[in-house]
Amino acid sequence: MSTYTFLLPIAIPVAAGILTLLVPARARLAVSLLAVVATAAQLASAIWIFPMDGALSVAWLGYGIEASFRLTRFSAFIVVAIAGFSFLVTLYSTASMSKAPSTKPFFAWMLITAGLACGAVLADNLVLLVVFLGALLLTQFGMIAAGARRPYAVAIKAVVIVGLSDMCLMLGIMMAAHLAGTLSMSAMKLSLDGMGGIAFLLMAIGALGKAGAMPFHSWIPDAAREAPLPFMAILPASIEKLLGIYLLARVSLDLFTLVPGSWVSLTLMVIGAVTIVLAVMMALVQKDYKRLLSYHAISQVGYMVLGIGTALPIGIVGGIFHMINHAMYKSTLFLSGGAVERQAGTTDLSKLGGLARSMPVTAVCFIVAAASISGVPPFNGFFSKEMVYDAALESGWVFYAAALLGSLLTAASFLKLGHAAFFGRRAEPASGGTVPAVREAPLPMLVPMIVLAGLCVLFGVVNRIPLDGLIGPAVGAAVTGGRSFAGFPASQMLVGFTAAALLLAILNHWYGARRTGHGLGAVDHIHHAIFLEPVYSVAEQGRLDPYFIGRWVIGGISAALYAVDRAIDWVYETLAVTVAQGISRVGRRLHNGSVNRYVLWSLAGAAAVVITAALVLGGSR
Amino acid sequence: MSDVILLLPFAALILINVLPRATRPAAWAIAAVVLAAQMAAVIVPPYWAFLDTIEKTVGFSLKLDRLTQLLVPTAGLAGLAAILVAQAGTATARTKLLFVNLLLIAIIGISGISMVQDLFTMYVFIEVTSVAAVILVVLRDGELSFEGAWKYLLLSAIASVLMLASLGMFLLTAGGVSFEEAASALSAGGAEAWVAAALFLSGLFLKSAMVPFHGWLADAYSEAPPAVSVFLAGIVTKASGVFALMRLAPAAFNGSGPGAMILLVVGAATAVVGAFLSLTQTDVKRMLAYSSISQMGYIVMALGGQPALALAAAAVHFFNHTVSKAQLFTNAAALERQLGTRDMDRMGGIGSRMPVTAGTSAVASLSVAGLPPLAGFWSKLLIVIALWRAGHVVFAVIAVLTSLVTLAYFLSLQRRVFFGTTPAEWSGIREAAIGYTLPALVLAAITVAVGLGFPFLLPILLGGGA
Repeated sequence: MSTYTFLLPIAIPVAAGILTLLVPARARLAVSLLAVVATAAQLASAIWIFPMDGALSVAWLGYGIEASFRLTRFSAFIVVAIAGFSFLVTLYSTASMSKAPSTKPFFAWMLITAGLACGAVLADNLVLLVVFLGALLLTQFGMIAAGARRPYAVAIKAVVIVGLSDMCLMLGIMMAAHLAGTLSMSAMKLSLDGMGGIAFLLMAIGALGKAGAMPFHSWIPDAAREAPLPFMAILPASIEKLLGIYLLARVSLDLFTLVPGSWVSLTLMVIGAVTIVLAVMMALVQKDYKRLLSYHAISQVGYMVLGIGTALPIGIVGGIFHMINHAMYKSTLFLSGGAVERQAGTTDLSKLGGLARSMPVTAVCFIVAAASISGVPPFNGFFSKEMVYDAALESGWVFYAAALLGSLLTAASFLKLGHAAFFGRRAEPASGGTVPAVREAPLPMLVPMIVLAGLCVLFGVVNRIPLDGLIGPAVGAAVTGGRSFAGFPASQMLVGFTAAALLLAILNHWYGARRTGHGLGAVDHIHHAIFLEPVYSVAEQGRLDPYFIGRWVIGGISAALYAVDRAIDWVYETLAVTVAQGISRVGRRLHNGSVNRYVLWSLAGAAAVVITAALVLGGSR
Repeated sequence: MSDVILLLPFAALILINVLPRATRPAAWAIAAVVLAAQMAAVIVPPYWAFLDTIEKTVGFSLKLDRLTQLLVPTAGLAGLAAILVAQAGTATARTKLLFVNLLLIAIIGISGISMVQDLFTMYVFIEVTSVAAVILVVLRDGELSFEGAWKYLLLSAIASVLMLASLGMFLLTAGGVSFEEAASALSAGGAEAWVAAALFLSGLFLKSAMVPFHGWLADAYSEAPPAVSVFLAGIVTKASGVFALMRLAPAAFNGSGPGAMILLVVGAATAVVGAFLSLTQTDVKRMLAYSSISQMGYIVMALGGQPALALAAAAVHFFNHTVSKAQLFTNAAALERQLGTRDMDRMGGIGSRMPVTAGTSAVASLSVAGLPPLAGFWSKLLIVIALWRAGHVVFAVIAVLTSLVTLAYFLSLQRRVFFGTTPAEWSGIREAAIGYTLPALVLAAITVAVGLGFPFLLPILLGGGA
């Protein structure tokens, strides 16, 4: 084993991605094969290096900017997760993308993304980290653009939003580096007072932007509508969450020491709670499979941010646990959505129904993942949410209430989604005729779903594996204090409240479904409630989207500046020219060629000169 | 020595008229050789000792100094250009001979002005120059046009009266007309002395066409034959007006007091008014004439600035402007010769037909407008610095802003005449003869060379400019 071994998870997929670009686009099989083999190799190398420790530093730009990498328990865990998701989603994509006009750019960008993401996790120098994140911004643009129908609008929106948060991260890094005198992540240890707090918040914004917390979320639902589905499963659902939360945890635990009750801790918790509630409210009323999931991808980040933001050991461990759990069940959900889209030809919930009979494997995987995200025991989401609840209640009942409300609405929306898609009866096509027969998805699409759903069960039932085997060592004894959080939640009261919330969700669904007569209408009474309907209608038009508000404001400023510019231009272009020519014309009219006039002027001038000389002299005497 | 410089053109004048008639077509060449010899005599020191021995036999109160070294070569350049243009553009042998004769007389006057040390001698040489110049203005092959010459003559006469009156007053109050006597009378602070000085200044303002004494200039310049315009605009007006002020101002006013303020105000007014008047002219030569007024205003304004720097700035601008303006009038002569008109509204797209004229015109225009790295940039910079150092910030700002207007009218000239598509009317036009293009090229080359080499010239100038 050489010192470079632990860089294999970066090198293999990036090299394969570049190689893919060289393969002719028509050789689709070769492209798929290359992608699967490369991600399998990446996963193998990630598992191989998992028990190792590694550090490597190469002189690069000088001024403390070195190409330094570091393999720790934490980064090894994230690298394995990234490699695992890349492999599964790639496998899935070989089948799901089979109808796409071209797969080569998508796979190439995805491979490079997988490699760069590992690079960002392994980077130990903050500048190197920014370089990897910046490169990820480009590959993200490429992935969206490779498959979207109206690619550039969404791709640009994503780049602008994530780029903005990356910029905040850079500012934060500059401040932190100034305070700490180093750019090495492992050597940095700052306090949160004064400038440190601002540096922390800026870096946290960078992490939150990657993870897709509010207000850096609005490109995700748009991408869900436009981008190819594997993109959603790989980036917003898994890799970006892993990266963003990893970064947030590193910033909170290593670079700074987040103290419970501090103002930055409070800020993070507020962001988390607001993200949970607002995003789930939006998810609740969606009528499209993928769009509904995308709002949950935002909402769930809130739990992770809330958990880490409490700065309590159980919250931090719970937040990170929730991150890995979320990546699993959300990928499963997106993959099931992709299977439905491919087999049934639509993700519009009003046109779906009764798919459980024709797509039983997909349906089971969906149910496992949905139960997991809703926090039903004994699936993994239940355990991580309970840990976050515990920490939230200790920090303030408001945060707990928000988290619980989020849980309730999550459950309600997944009841609605499941009911509308997999149960009930499929709606007749509007054009008449019979409903086309739907078959189960092909094996390469089913295997990843089954594996991930299985992991959801495994990480829930035997939560010792992730908690004591992965996360405990990752955050270290300094955070956990040697405690183990494995096993069934300690607080019976919290479990009771969770059960009550789930029950309420079921009751609500029963009421709503009965009221409207179909599963899709189960939450209409919330959607069309007197005080919520106008808010929803404004939000659905995108008018609350920070991106569009920002564009509107910038457009206004731009128009105002343009008006000023035109005014200045008018002064130069019209006013100055008119005045100068006017003066010139007056002068020409005075010079009419009359010699009398010229003589008169001369004599008057001479008189003026003589008088001036005499008077000035008289004054000085 | 200084007498020899004066006598050289005088000798040539006699020579070309007493030689047999058959030699008359070569008169221009004799004149050109004499001019070159005169320039060499002033610049190259080894001749001075030889010349000094001759001087001892005659006795004028003349002095050869650095200002002489500025004016005589400058006048020589303008004179040579004018001779070449006249050879190319004048038809009859008689007119050519008359032109060379008058030019030599004017050169005698200018050479005298370059060396005078008293007011009376200055007046005499100015009159010598003016008489020749007035006749030159009417010197055409065929038809005669008197209006321009008439105005020139009339206002010159007023200037003469003013200067003569001044001389009388100086004789009465200061007891003499040498610069020293005049200066001591002024510093003594007698009101009569100051009135006398103001009268003499007014006379010089008239000769140099300062606002509001400028009425005659545009008519005289634009009506004069092409070669005469080159000579007149290039050196005559400047020598008999502006250069005389340059001689007088440091000696008499020492760059301060009411005299300096009069120079500043009149100079600034001239610079501004001249520039604005240029802006809407449609006749090429009229535009250049008003431009001349404006630029001479700059020189006079500079004289009111910080004394040590002021004279250097004025001298450099004097040289640069002579070179550029002689060249622009040469370009104008080429245009008039080839197109038969001076109306800019009828022109356009001439640049592709007359590339040498267009290119050299661009160089001179940009130099006068003060664009680096051409010669005009440095001299304007010196003027602005001289004004600024003397505390005349307002005048420095006026100088800078006026150069914007200067750039505007020169760009307008360049665009209206040379750029754009060529109208069908001018599709057969060719480049002018070598008599026009050679002087234009040489003068443009000087402009570029002085601009590029200015950092090396500056120490020499400041070493003994004042």
